[in-house]
Amino acid sequence: MLDTLSHVETPEGISLRLRSAGVLPRAAAWLVDFAVRLAVVWVFSILFAVLGEAGLGLYLIALFVVFWMYPVLFEVLRDGQTIGKKAMGLRVVNSNGTPVTWIASIVRNLMRTVDMLPVLYGFGFVAGLIDPHSRRLGDMVAGTLVIHVEKSQRHVSAPEVPVVYAPVALAADERAAIVAFAERAQQLTPERQQELAAILHRLTEAHGAAGVQRLYGMASGLLGRR
Amino acid sequence: MKQDDFQKRHQAEWQDLASWLDARARPKARERRLDAAGVPSDLEFPALYRRVCQHLALAERRGYSNLLIERLQDLVHRGHLVLYRPPPPRWLSVLSFFSAGFPRLVRAQWRAMSVAAVLFFLPLVIMIALLQWRPELVHSMFDVSQLAEFEAMYDPANSEMRLGRESGSDLKMFGHYILNNVSIGFRTFASGLLFCVGSIIVLVSNGLIIGGVAGHLTAIGYGEPFWRFVVGHSAPELLAIVISGGAGLQIGMALIAPGRRSRGRALVESGIIGGRLVLGVFAMLVFAAFVEAFWSSIGWMPNPIKYSVGGALWVLILAWLWRGGRGQVDAA
Repeated sequence: MLDTLSHVETPEGISLRLRSAGVLPRAAAWLVDFAVRLAVVWVFSILFAVLGEAGLGLYLIALFVVFWMYPVLFEVLRDGQTIGKKAMGLRVVNSNGTPVTWIASIVRNLMRTVDMLPVLYGFGFVAGLIDPHSRRLGDMVAGTLVIHVEKSQRHVSAPEVPVVYAPVALAADERAAIVAFAERAQQLTPERQQELAAILHRLTEAHGAAGVQRLYGMASGLLGRR
Repeated sequence: MKQDDFQKRHQAEWQDLASWLDARARPKARERRLDAAGVPSDLEFPALYRRVCQHLALAERRGYSNLLIERLQDLVHRGHLVLYRPPPPRWLSVLSFFSAGFPRLVRAQWRAMSVAAVLFFLPLVIMIALLQWRPELVHSMFDVSQLAEFEAMYDPANSEMRLGRESGSDLKMFGHYILNNVSIGFRTFASGLLFCVGSIIVLVSNGLIIGGVAGHLTAIGYGEPFWRFVVGHSAPELLAIVISGGAGLQIGMALIAPGRRSRGRALVESGIIGGRLVLGVFAMLVFAAFVEAFWSSIGWMPNPIKYSVGGALWVLILAWLWRGGRGQVDAA
């Protein structure tokens, strides 16, 4: 299945849906991080240049921190998001959906050494394309997952219209389809709404805008409005 | 119950949970407290979260609309991230890791560690011995300019002040050693994922190079400044490289011979072990860099002190790895 969803059962007995992020957004996040790191290193090089030889020592330590520890510190302390991942709406979590732990983050970031081989994250790229959850090798060893952060959009509900009863009994998936149409139709153009409603002209016994209104009415009924 | 009634009945609880999660995400603790009015307290969070979990389960079971389920999924996932976040590291557990957990982990991986030790120390000793017997063989390893560089660093004629370097302050060299040595340690570990090959190459080649330099300098009579320089930091540095190599080997072995586990499962388990080992390696290498930069380079220190400190570090570190954490109950 070409599905990037993975389901994780939580101790509360529900299944969490995690949408794993593909290679491209992750590469973009890495590029943003790379630019940030370059900028930081550049600023440090100016600051420490004033201090001479000792400054060079501090600069080398800063280089070490920026190279090896930047992703770990951000991932663990900033909810699984480096600056680049935050910009791209990504988050690192353990494969069971819990926040990434210190050891897991250290392992997945040290393993970049291998993912970078032979050039430009070649192994990581290939592994990401093969793996159903787009994990690079470091993610597989650390047991982590990079997922999309769901943008919490404002909750929209189906339009409030007078209830219309369907002329026949509807199956569960048919009821779900009608409710989903009513909830999402506001995002569509009127022409598209009518086009979709026309598929059900036998059920609505109407055409054009009237058909759309009748579907809204059925949805209202199904949602239990009075 | 129809969806609309369900939504009306529980709407307030969902909003409470959302507002608590939003308040928690505020960056500053002070802001969080200021906004506390109307937001449920931290103590109410777990119960609230579990109720919303139940609502999600009901919504899915009753086939409510996708938008509602997505909204609840989103809330629940945000709550999940908060409820199951790892505890902040405590000083005591850090201390007990270094005094007991780490040495025990090294002993538990004794097979990988001993293989790594052989892969590293055998080429090293062989090179030193070989170059005493046939000194000209060194030219098959290093070219002339490299040799000249080593010789300049340890020339007995100009090493009264600083040992083991041509120039540079202690702090500069400290930064240099941190960046170089710790990176080598990390790479030795990580490259083990390539079916052990990477770790083996790093271990053997480092053994050959270090042995080659030591053997060559000893053979041409520059041995004294060289050994005076390296004896102090040799124990933490060489042992740390061996341990990171062993940590890499056990990851490679999880891939080659996972035993009765799936490869994925074996990899994750070896990854946790490797990650913990690397923490210890990191501490050892930082300590080694400190010794190398601020102690090993002191030129005027008389030989007996230099060698006895170096020897004491070998004894102490080996004793730590051998006996550390024995007979204790694991806190973790």
